[in-house]
This record gives sequence, structure tokens and C-alpha cells, in this order.
Amino acid sequence: MKQVDQFRYLLPKSYKKGMNVEGLVYADSVLIKQIEQDQTRDQVANVATLPGLVGRSLAMPDAHQGYGFPIGGVAAADPDAGVVSAGGVGFDINCGVRLLATPFAEEDVRDRLEPLLNQLFRDIPCGTGRKGQVMLGASAIDEVLADGAHWAVKQGYGQKEDLARLEEFGKLPTADPDAVSDRAKARGRSQLGTLGSGNHFLEIQRVDEIFRPEVAERFGLKQGHLCVLIHSGSRGLGHQVCTDALHLMDDGMKKYGISVIDRQLACVPVKSDEGQRYLRGMAAAANFAFANRQMMTHWVREGFERVIGPGQINIVYDVCHNIAKTEDHEVDGKMRTVLVHRKGATRALPPRHPLLPKDLYDVGQPVLIPGSMGTSSYVLVGTDQAMKETFGSSCHGAGRAKSRSQAKRETAAGTVRKELKELGILVRCESKSGLTEEKPDAYKDVSRVVDVVSGAGIAHKVAKLLPRAVMKG
Amino acid sequence: MPGPEERSSGFRILEHPADIGIEAWATTTAEAFGVAAHGLISIILDPTLIQRRTTRVVELHATDRDQLLVKWLEEILYLYDGEGFVVRSSDVTQLTTTTLTATLTGEPFDPDRHESRLDVKAVTYHQLLITEGGGISTVRIYLDI
Repeated sequence: MKQVDQFRYLLPKSYKKGMNVEGLVYADSVLIKQIEQDQTRDQVANVATLPGLVGRSLAMPDAHQGYGFPIGGVAAADPDAGVVSAGGVGFDINCGVRLLATPFAEEDVRDRLEPLLNQLFRDIPCGTGRKGQVMLGASAIDEVLADGAHWAVKQGYGQKEDLARLEEFGKLPTADPDAVSDRAKARGRSQLGTLGSGNHFLEIQRVDEIFRPEVAERFGLKQGHLCVLIHSGSRGLGHQVCTDALHLMDDGMKKYGISVIDRQLACVPVKSDEGQRYLRGMAAAANFAFANRQMMTHWVREGFERVIGPGQINIVYDVCHNIAKTEDHEVDGKMRTVLVHRKGATRALPPRHPLLPKDLYDVGQPVLIPGSMGTSSYVLVGTDQAMKETFGSSCHGAGRAKSRSQAKRETAAGTVRKELKELGILVRCESKSGLTEEKPDAYKDVSRVVDVVSGAGIAHKVAKLLPRAVMKG
Repeated sequence: MPGPEERSSGFRILEHPADIGIEAWATTTAEAFGVAAHGLISIILDPTLIQRRTTRVVELHATDRDQLLVKWLEEILYLYDGEGFVVRSSDVTQLTTTTLTATLTGEPFDPDRHESRLDVKAVTYHQLLITEGGGISTVRIYLDI
């Protein structure tokens, strides 16, 4: 890899036979060493071999090895000559994060944080196999898939104003419930309003540091106040939509004469029937995830009201981490419509972008970067630079540094709990493995990741948040 | 944990930067498929708490052996996540390159009794391997967590 500047490393087309475009990895001298330890670099190159890509195959500074695509990867395809890959979105369609800002200063409610955490742990099911509070019938699940967060608001989970602060305003209109299999619906019908397990979590955080006061104020972030960060996705429904699509694409590649380096990169032309069907189903699964986070938002508000007291809790923003969307971007100095795959990356719109909520038009989009459970999370804001070089994308988190087995071997659950307690962080966890496998040092240093993003100019730092209480599956 | 040469059947968990793999071995490939299914269930919950109360028969078709392994484990995962049926043991009674028939024994999932561990999202083709020879069959598969 050739170092371009302090924060960019180029993977030339000569790196691997068949690369149609170059690869570009955002990293500093420390993160690049971590990235080079696994197959991330090869996976960036493998993505670059897909037909009809435009620009470059990108990896954000939190990138690590995934399946087919690297996690932290961004790739855009020409809608006429390019392909869509279900692996380029990933199994957890519209896995994403939502940040809520509360009017409560931590110092005023510190003694009630533990009962609050217990309340949320009771109200929001987490862990594998836990059913949601709602069981959806056949017609209701189709409504969720068609309307996303709008469905949830109509049912009384939240208010209309919430929708303005969600990526795509909480609903991808291209969604088609008929493009989602019965199996996917069966996996989803009892899982709406559930957090899940693995790296999914809900955190009560304190605004610890503000870097851009005027932007933070517009986002609704106040020094010392509590926020809630929800990290979850489309649950079993989205996983099954991706699973179904991978088989469809695996078979479809023969039909369209496409061959790929790694079977997990299975893809079909964007314009093909299979490609369009996947995109309609993916949009429906994305809507399920928007509704899922909307329902959890409602229960967070109820929990705060019950334990802390009345007070308006607003959504700062809700971003998708795993998604493919048709967007307009500048490529080689010209505006083009492209299909952007983001797999573990966040859309980051600059000020004056038409897709921004009206009240943030002159500010830009909040970009939410969760850290690992004992460390900080960040709120950034989108920039024009990201529109020029990353299809308006930024990083999505800290990125794993250690495998689950390694993390588990190193530390017992009790030790992690004790270490978090010493930091003043409360924790409720459905499973022991959730604690050990997601321990803070199993991840890269999120501050370093964010510094690369900000150093490269593809998003600017607005605020740093510290965890006070965590719940996990 | 003993390696394949030391025990006639078993499985071990493989490392991946973010996720989990299973390597399962047995004297036949059909048995190795069954052991891999047990490995998958063991990641999701404690298999020793599952009772053998009902049986189900599954029949699967695929374009090749690799896809058959992926579809087989997807079936076990779907039965748990979509139908709430957890598998204690499986007997792969017929296995060709493109078809599989198996009898599954288990019971309905009970979140209060079955100690849950991790959500498995999906089964992948990443570094998938099926090898046979020297009286031992081994399958390797990675799961998205």
C-alpha cells in the first residue's frame, strides 16, 4: 500500500489481478498496522474487482475483516453497468445507531441511574431468543416493512417530529413487503422492538466534551447532560433477507456471466430482476430496523418519565450503518447517480444538502460514532470533503481489534464488570459472553479512529460522550 | 481440546476478527454435518439443557456440496429463530452432492429454561471447506454474529 498523506493509503490496481478501480484506506500509522494484520486489505482489493464500480473501493479507519466486503467498506456502482451485492450491505440490514438527547444533567439524576437502567432492561428485550412486547400478524408486518418508523409513530410509538431526524426520514419508499420471504417475516414477527445481542447495545451517556459549541447546540447536545445511544438493526428479518438474496445472487451470477473472487461477494446487475428484487427487499428490511429503533426510543422515553420524571427527549439523529442506496455524488468532478454500498459506514451529509432535515440545513448531518462499552462515543458532522471523496460517507465505530475467543480467554465476565464499575459505569447484560466478548479493549481506540476521519476532513468532531450505564444482550 | 486425529468426532471454535467459525469432524461427511449443527446450537445456547421431545425431518436441495452445508446450517438457525425449535441432536440420513435428508430431535425454545448465549445472524461461505480422506471428514464454516 502506498501512503498518500498522513491519513490516506492507496491500493493501486496492480495490487491484485482483476481490480477495476483503486482502493483507498483511511488510517494513520498505528491503525494501518492493525488493518494490515487481517484480510481487510485483500477484501478492499476484492471489492475493487466487481464490475461497474465508480470511484474507488474505500475502507474507513475502523475497517476490519468481514465476509466478502470488509467491515468499514464503501463502494459505489454505476446503476446501468454496475452490480448490487447483498454482501456489500451485510446480514444486518440497516444496523444503525440512534442518539437521543435528554434535558437531564447527569449530576442531578446520578442516584437514579441504576433504577433507570433496571427499568430499561425490563422494558426493552435483549439477548438471543427474547421476544418483543409486540407480536405482529401477517398484515401488520407488511405495514412495518412498507412504512418503517412512520408505522411505529402511527401506532403511538413516538411523535411525528421524530421522523425529521432519521436518515431517509425513517422510511425507504422503494420497500416492497412482497420481496421479503415468509421465512424472513417469520424471523421478524416477534422481534420488533428488541435490541439483539453481539455488538448491539443501549447506553446512557453523558456529554463530556464539546468541540463545536454552535453545532452541538443545534444538534441539541448540552455539556453534562444525559444522552441515550441505541445500536440495533433489522434483527432476524434482515438477516434472512440477506441470506435469501445471497442464494439468489449466487445462482444469478451464472445467468449473467459474472464471476467473483470470493463467493461471499455474490452480485447481480443493478438493473436485473434479481438485483431490483433484492433492493426492494433490502429497503423493506431497512424499514423494519427504523421501526425497531423507533419503538425502543418510545420505551426509553417511558422509562425516563417513570424513573426520572417528565422532560422532552429529542432524537439527535438516526443513521444506517449497513445499506445500499441510490444517491447523487460527485465522481471525478461530475455529478452522477450511483448505488452506494455502505457496510459498516455512515452517511455524512454536508451543510446545505437537500436531504438534510430543514432545521439542520445550514449545519450538516449528525454523524454518530459509537465506541466500545467502557470508552467514549462521538458525534461528528458531515463535510463537503466527504461528498468529494467518500460518497458522503464516514466511519461507523471503533472497529474490532480482537476476536471474540481472544477477548473471552483474556478476561472473565466478573473482571469486566468490576473494571466498568471502577470507571463508574453501570452494566446489565443478558449473557456473560456479551460482557467478555464486547469488553472495551476488544475494540480499536475510537478516539484515534475519529481523529483520522477528522484529520482527513471527511467529518468534523462535534462532541464526545462518555458511557454511564450500559445494557447488552 | 483433542484434534481430529485424537477423537473420532467433535468440533472446535475458530477465531475470526469479528465473528466465529466452526470446524467439525467425524468419520463420515454426513456425521460431520451433524456435528457442525451441534456446534452452531452450542454457540446460540447451552445444548445440554435441550430435551429430546419431538422430531422433525428436513430435506434440502442445493447446487453443490458447499451450498448444501450453508443451507443445512441456515435451516437449523431458521428453525430456532423463525419457528422457535431448538435442536438437541441431528441424524443426517442421506447426503449427496446436492441433497440432504436429516432427522432433527429437540423441543420448542423456552427463554426461561434454555440459557441463551449469542445471536447468530447468518451462515457464510467465508473460507468454507469440506475435506474427506484417511477415514476422517472435516467441515469448516464461519458464522456472522
